[in-house]
Amino acid sequence: MDIIGQFPLFYFPEYGSAWMMGVTGTIHILASHTSVGAAMLFAFLAYKAYKENRTDLYPYMKKYGMFLLIFSYVIGSITGPGIWYTATAASPRGISALIHNFVWVWATEWVFFVYEVIGVFLLVYFIDKIDKKTHLKLTFSFALASVGTLALIIGIISFMMWPGTEAYYATGSASDAFFGTNTFPHMFLRIGFMIMLSGVIGLLISSAMRKENLELSNELTKKMGYISMLGGFLVLFFFMWYMGTLPDNAHAVFNVTKADVIQSRIILTIVFSLYFLLAVVKPQYIKTPLAGAMIFVILIAGIWPGEKLRESMRKPYVAGQYIYSNQIISRDVAGKGIKSELPIIAKKGLLQVNPFVPQNLKVITPENKLAAGELLTKMSCSNCHSLEKTGKYRPLKDRLVGMDKDGIKGILYAMGQGAFPYMPTLELPEDEYDAIAEYIASLKY
Amino acid sequence: MDASILLALRDPAGVPFYPVVFQALYVLTWALHAAFVLLALGSMGLSIVGTFKQKSDPIWKVMNPHLIQTGKISISILIVLGVAPLLFTQVIYDPNWYVANTLSGMWVFIFIYTLIVGYIMYYWYYYANKKIEGGGKLIGIISFAILVFAGILMHNFAVTSIMPNDWMQMYAPNGVVDTSGWTFNMEIIRLAFMVSLAVPVVGIFLQNYSRFLSTRADFSKEFVDYTASLGTKLGVVGLLISAVTFALWMLQIDYLLHPLSLAIVVGVVVLLLLVKQNKNSYITTGVLVVVALLISAMRELIRFDIMANLGYSIYEYPVNLEIPSIVMFLFTFLIMGGVGVAWLLTMAWKVGKNQGVFDGSKDVAVTKLGNYTLAIMVLWMVVYFGWGMFILFNNIL
Ligand code: HEC
Ligand code: HEM
Repeated sequence: MDIIGQFPLFYFPEYGSAWMMGVTGTIHILASHTSVGAAMLFAFLAYKAYKENRTDLYPYMKKYGMFLLIFSYVIGSITGPGIWYTATAASPRGISALIHNFVWVWATEWVFFVYEVIGVFLLVYFIDKIDKKTHLKLTFSFALASVGTLALIIGIISFMMWPGTEAYYATGSASDAFFGTNTFPHMFLRIGFMIMLSGVIGLLISSAMRKENLELSNELTKKMGYISMLGGFLVLFFFMWYMGTLPDNAHAVFNVTKADVIQSRIILTIVFSLYFLLAVVKPQYIKTPLAGAMIFVILIAGIWPGEKLRESMRKPYVAGQYIYSNQIISRDVAGKGIKSELPIIAKKGLLQVNPFVPQNLKVITPENKLAAGELLTKMSCSNCHSLEKTGKYRPLKDRLVGMDKDGIKGILYAMGQGAFPYMPTLELPEDEYDAIAEYIASLKY
Repeated sequence: MDASILLALRDPAGVPFYPVVFQALYVLTWALHAAFVLLALGSMGLSIVGTFKQKSDPIWKVMNPHLIQTGKISISILIVLGVAPLLFTQVIYDPNWYVANTLSGMWVFIFIYTLIVGYIMYYWYYYANKKIEGGGKLIGIISFAILVFAGILMHNFAVTSIMPNDWMQMYAPNGVVDTSGWTFNMEIIRLAFMVSLAVPVVGIFLQNYSRFLSTRADFSKEFVDYTASLGTKLGVVGLLISAVTFALWMLQIDYLLHPLSLAIVVGVVVLLLLVKQNKNSYITTGVLVVVALLISAMRELIRFDIMANLGYSIYEYPVNLEIPSIVMFLFTFLIMGGVGVAWLLTMAWKVGKNQGVFDGSKDVAVTKLGNYTLAIMVLWMVVYFGWGMFILFNNIL
């Protein structure tokens, strides 16, 4: 039998299931990057407090630690598996590919997580129950473990964009997949962002302790300003390098929205530079509501669009440039014995090869044509486009507006030829093209 | 579902190591996950009872904040321990895991937010209770209910994943495809058994708690005795309930006379005796761990049999050996994880036994383990970057 390993389809109406991942992912990035950044900052402060015998820093660290614990660990550690779970529902084969390539890398990361989760409680609760030197060691190990988790996940998410070299396809080795040209720039880009976030969160906490200790609050606000500046600079610097290591299809998508993206990033850079400068020059002006609002700005104007962009730039693939977002393996990976599924789909059609298509839709007839067309459209397009007339996520209605059945078919034929670098080369038998076109036309966008 | 489909649903990349290893790791790590799920639910539940006694009863006054704190830490740990079986199950049981997740896609999404809301409310409960003795009752009850609901969702995923013969009916009832992701299945008896274990687990925890504090001068004998006897009561009653629900579950799926099931029954009886006598609760805990592993193995056996009967054996999963990354895992797990976690736990134990500030720098074990941990982590980073540069140079030059 000719079957390919596609799973049932989960489609979240209007927004698409990828959007759900985006929401959880955005929250996770804020929390997880804060937690790594904060772990580094914590180590820095603990070192200063210990070396210079600054006992007044410990209450600040305790506050910061509590915040870290609740905010980053509660939210970060839940949204971590959260992305994974939602990605599993939205893109089972994408996740499966990552798991089957990198299970031991993840398992290694898990060891660090276990260390961190136990460690964070000790770090916070033992701050005045244990001698300073042991506590300092704890903060160092905690920072190292946090950076370790980044070091391990970064190769996996870089592989989602692309393996970086051709070696992986020949060897199938996890090391070749993990260490691509993109991995290290990506890593330092994120480290910069983490440092910046740790400063931004630090500003929130230092501004909140103004009432208790004005002098310390101002001193720390200044420091956090410098730290954020350093982080921000690293972000910009490594972003350049990072962009240079992306594959062509990424640039093809990037070019679509390049002007807007660059403009909004320039605005963000200016706004944040001013904010950090203010912290350094006039720390007393950094009030808690402002500091809180700026975190929100990062979330909404920085991370959310950034994640959307990264997701777009990966198109048409979801992982390793061998699996399309719509759950089709698009090339051979000799090193793993993986075969492209495009030829069999072109020959037999999606309805035949997908094991979860019910019997009554396996063969297209005049009676079931619309139902078959709907299912086919969901299977082929809905991972990247919402289908409804009121759809929100890269909606088809805006891209096929006013088009009739033949016009739509024309687009489908072009897709079958690989005319769009950001869309799958999806060649289907004529009757399936016809059913899709008929269904989409019936929606009257 | 016939075998050809189930086999096609395996990942074409194959598994990077022998499937039996993943299976063993799954059984091991799920038992750990479950242990903390049960401790969390048990201590949370008991602490809610405690909020009603805390004001008037001097013992509960001291004990309840500890129970709440235990619940709080356990939730964090159960989450991180849940990641491991999550990882291993989807390496070898792809059909089950991915189908269950896509069919229940909405629940998957809801699960995450349920957890976030439940856990944040739990912190709220913790702070409310810290502020006023006996405070935060309502918040505590709500967060407890939410977290139990998260467990029910977990149960849905587990159960849906082992119903391959019904998947098609769930996805396309009467030939009409449903992509909404609202599939939900429950097996009440199995769930009741799993959740009931929270009672004996918190009972044994209390016995340990009492034993641990018995060496500290600042805890009265009365306190130590009361917590021990409460633990014994909970342990005995809880084990009886769990035994009955377990037998019912096994009867329902026809596994009661299976050697593994009998071994669990024997384990429970031994536990019952140990709990009742409460001679050394640390030993009881050891036996509990063994029983937890057996229960975890039972779950795996059920799934294994269902799949094997349909012609899907994980042992036939094509293997694409991948040596460097497993070496990395083993070294990290055994050396860094072993030494590092040993350091943390030693420290926690000693701080707990100590009154006032504990000077770790004067403690040989704590100092040495700490230094080793740091050295291993630094070395780890060096190897990581070294390996990465070697690979990259090799591939791009
Ligand atoms: C892998 C993801 C993906 C899939 C699957 C996909 N598309 Fe697209 N599509 C994109 C991206 C990315 C763009 C370009 C960016 C944009 O228009 O926002 C795009 C653009 C389009 C456009 C506008 C083309 C242009 O350049 O003007 C049309 C029409 C379209 N898609 C139709 C479809 C149809 C019909 C299907 C299903 C048969 C489909 N797409 C499947 C990702 C996808
Ligand atoms: C409060 C939160 C949680 C509770 C109460 C809980 C409870 C449970 C329960 C009761 C089961 C057994 C279900 C059954 O066999 O019937 C289970 C299984 C499992 N849990 Fe959790 N869990 C929680 C959070 C998590 C998280 C966050 C993860 C992942 C990171 C996770 C991963 C798993 C896995 C992988 C299984 C095994 C599923 C299978 O074998 O199919 N759990 N959990």
